[in-house]
Amino acid sequence: MMRMTKNWMMIGALMATATQAFASDSGEAPNPFAGDLGNAVWTLVIFLIVVVLLGKFLWGPILNGLQSRENFIATALRDADDASKKAQAQLAEYSQKLDQARAEATAIVEEGRRDAEVTKRAIHEEARNEADKMIERAKREIGIARDSAVRELCDLGAKLATDAASKIVGRELSQADHERLIRESIDEISAQNASRN
Amino acid sequence: MTAMLASSNPLTHVVQHVWGEPIKLADSGVFSTFTVMSNQIFMMVLAAFLLIVFVIRAGRRRRGNAGMDALVASGFGNFIETICVYLRDEVAKPALGEHTDRFIKYIWSVFFFIFTCNLLGLLPFDAVAYFVTGMPEHPVHLGGTATANIWTTGTLAFCTLLMMVFNGLRLGGTAYLAHFCPGPLLMAPLLVPVEIIGTIAKIFALTVRLFANMMAGHILLAVLIGFTMSAFAVGLTTGIGVTIPVVLGSVAINFLELFVAALQAFIFTFLTTLFIGMSVNVHHHDDHHEEGHHGEAAAHAH
Repeated sequence: MMRMTKNWMMIGALMATATQAFASDSGEAPNPFAGDLGNAVWTLVIFLIVVVLLGKFLWGPILNGLQSRENFIATALRDADDASKKAQAQLAEYSQKLDQARAEATAIVEEGRRDAEVTKRAIHEEARNEADKMIERAKREIGIARDSAVRELCDLGAKLATDAASKIVGRELSQADHERLIRESIDEISAQNASRN
Repeated sequence: MTAMLASSNPLTHVVQHVWGEPIKLADSGVFSTFTVMSNQIFMMVLAAFLLIVFVIRAGRRRRGNAGMDALVASGFGNFIETICVYLRDEVAKPALGEHTDRFIKYIWSVFFFIFTCNLLGLLPFDAVAYFVTGMPEHPVHLGGTATANIWTTGTLAFCTLLMMVFNGLRLGGTAYLAHFCPGPLLMAPLLVPVEIIGTIAKIFALTVRLFANMMAGHILLAVLIGFTMSAFAVGLTTGIGVTIPVVLGSVAINFLELFVAALQAFIFTFLTTLFIGMSVNVHHHDDHHEEGHHGEAAAHAH
């Protein structure tokens, strides 16, 4: 408590001395418009010095900096705008090219499919023709073989018949008889075959 | 106690204190004396010194020397450049248009000079000196607000007038002279004096507005602190009881004064810009006239 009172008294004393200092100016009533030509001249001189020196060493660089920055930003914006327009134009161009390429690819695929179809059909046709030819040839060969076999069979039959007849008749037929008999037999068999077919 | 109250006229702490004797130019009249140095003139010199030595150095600081870094402010330079950009883009360009960069250096100088003077006026040099030296009286009164002197504000406003007239004639030519008679030529004898008086009134308003605002805040503070003196004269308890709210109130008023210091510097700069704009852009005078009135209305409202 004592300490608090002491603190307050110290503050009080300090304020009292401060107010004494405050009250120390005394004399005639002060004029709020106090001043004279000296103030005006000093103000003019100091202000002009400030305007000139600040203008040269501070405002000049700052103004240049602001103008450069404005130009820089304006250029950057213009460039960005140009780049954007260019990019859009390129995008449109690329889209167009892409569409074109896609159409071309589709056309190529279509053409390939068509070619493949044609080739397939050609191969089929060729294969069928080849097969037909083979079948035809096989038939012809079969016919020839059959004819040859028949002829051999006839010859063999004639020979066997002749041999049997010779044994039965007991006499040998002449070569001319043989040939006549064979020819007659062959003709008879051929006639029979023809009538069978 | 009466003597103490009489000596505690709050104006004493706000008005100019001449250092030494003024030079006598004439026996009487407004221009009879010439003050060689005073606390307010010294504060103006100090403001100029700070601006020239420190603000130039700080304002030129850039993040780097080349490329984009050279375009970007750094440290305290940001503070200065932000104000400069605001004044140029929001205040000067609408009023001055194409002439903005021609006058912007002057406009920036006006703002920073007045702002620095206003701020320095808030520093209690004399009270600090008393606490350091313990001397109630010093050979010279320290501290003070340069812009709380009507001769100072008048001179600054006179510079605005010179800028208006000189640049009006230089850039506007006959159009500037013609705008003194906006009506038919027959009305010239009536209109020209009115326009001239209007121009002088603008400058007078500029003078008084800054002076009165800076003076008023300081008188208010002086009156508040004067209460403590009266209270301590009554007794210690009363003194302490009064001192506490007074100190709190003074702190609050000081914050307000900080705001007023910036505001008044801005208003002076803003109106100077508008007036110069009205002089140099006489061909679209009407638009700016409107703006001018808005600006003045705002200033008067304060």
